[in-house]
Amino acid sequence: MRGTSYQGLRDGQLVELVAQRDAGALEALYGRYGRAAYSLARRILTEETLAQDVVQEVFLSLWRDARRFDADRGTVATYLLSMTHHRAVDVVRREEKLRRWRTSDEGLELEADPDPKARVEEQVEATERRAEVRAALKDLPEAQREALLLAYFGGYTQREVATLVGVPLGTVKTRMAAGMRKMKAALSDAGREEQQPWTRQ
Amino acid sequence: MDTPMSHSEFEELAAGYVLGALEPDDEHDFQRHLGGCATCEANVRELEAVAGELAYAAPPVDPPDTLWAGIRREIQPEAAPRGATQRPAGPARGGRRGPRLLPGLAAAAAILMVAVLSVWNLSLRDENAAIRDRVAALERATQLANDPNASLVTMDEVPGPEGAQATVIASSRQDRGVLLIESLPPLARDRVYELWGVPQGDIAQAQKALVFVPLRRQGVQALEFEVPIQPGTVFAITDEPGPDGSEKPTSQPLLVGAPPSA
Repeated sequence: MRGTSYQGLRDGQLVELVAQRDAGALEALYGRYGRAAYSLARRILTEETLAQDVVQEVFLSLWRDARRFDADRGTVATYLLSMTHHRAVDVVRREEKLRRWRTSDEGLELEADPDPKARVEEQVEATERRAEVRAALKDLPEAQREALLLAYFGGYTQREVATLVGVPLGTVKTRMAAGMRKMKAALSDAGREEQQPWTRQ
Repeated sequence: MDTPMSHSEFEELAAGYVLGALEPDDEHDFQRHLGGCATCEANVRELEAVAGELAYAAPPVDPPDTLWAGIRREIQPEAAPRGATQRPAGPARGGRRGPRLLPGLAAAAAILMVAVLSVWNLSLRDENAAIRDRVAALERATQLANDPNASLVTMDEVPGPEGAQATVIASSRQDRGVLLIESLPPLARDRVYELWGVPQGDIAQAQKALVFVPLRRQGVQALEFEVPIQPGTVFAITDEPGPDGSEKPTSQPLLVGAPPSA
């Protein structure tokens, strides 16, 4: 990562520089969130090329209209990862063949530590965050976890989840609401704030 | 279309909303409710942060080097010279706007979009009742696109939301049309978008055609409307107070389009 002068800047400051067409600022943000965004897109889409397209579009969208980011609505991380999620889900809904029923896979992923390399290469905060989110998901009742993961990573609507799981639509709505409430409670203690400056080496 | 729902039912929809998992009708109802409910809006913001955290449950994968290289290639022509930007102390400054589609290309894109929607329409036909309105609108768009009296109106930003696309297929013979929208940004609380038919472009004579809120993650939305359409009628979209919009425009148009003959 070049541009060590960006290391001291917070995410919001980098977005302001991106609005001024500062390519180094966008690169710094990519250094902070490109991996998380790409991992999310790969998880949803499975196909490498589609995932690359989605992440590229997300960062180009920020480049084209950084003013759309509203700090009052959330952090830069939430903004970028939400946009990645929206776009990846849009793609997966168009490409039916990408969608898979893989509840058992989700469970296994939560049990494993799939990326020991990350401990070396990634910034500590990102690794800790991953561990916290996975622990919170593991603590959910299985039915709630299943509903959340099918919606979030599978791109399924509530009605589709109900069909897949074989329960009424109302039950799925209740499970998702309860699951998200518990996730919120579990993660609230972490005191999430805008990410502090760091870059990959 | 609007099913009466209790507040607790709306609260329950918030989770599905931030996960992008609501059915179109539920999403429409929830977004309309959000416009007037500070409690639900605050809840949505908190849950959006939680949904953002879910991304970290994905198995980490290093992006290929070609990914950043591709981004850099795209932004390089527009990048400011190194050292030319100012370290932030105040609000962000705006960037240049992206290129607009040439009118002809935009029209071709809109026609292609209708063709794609027709195929999509077929795939949706057998699904549940919640999407019947959308299917009907898509069918209407397809019918109108084949009507020799119909006009294809591409709406341009003035300057409007970056990346927003809106196209009207309107029939003066039938005084009705279909609005196709994509990537309209979410609105502030208590606000809705409103489509107007504007005779001869005279905003004082604007006639209400449609009140709507953009659905998230639904791709292209097709919405039917009825409004008197004469030669020279211009279409405009404004941001109005919700939930029912205004009888006359109260803000400057965000998107405007005139038929080729206007």
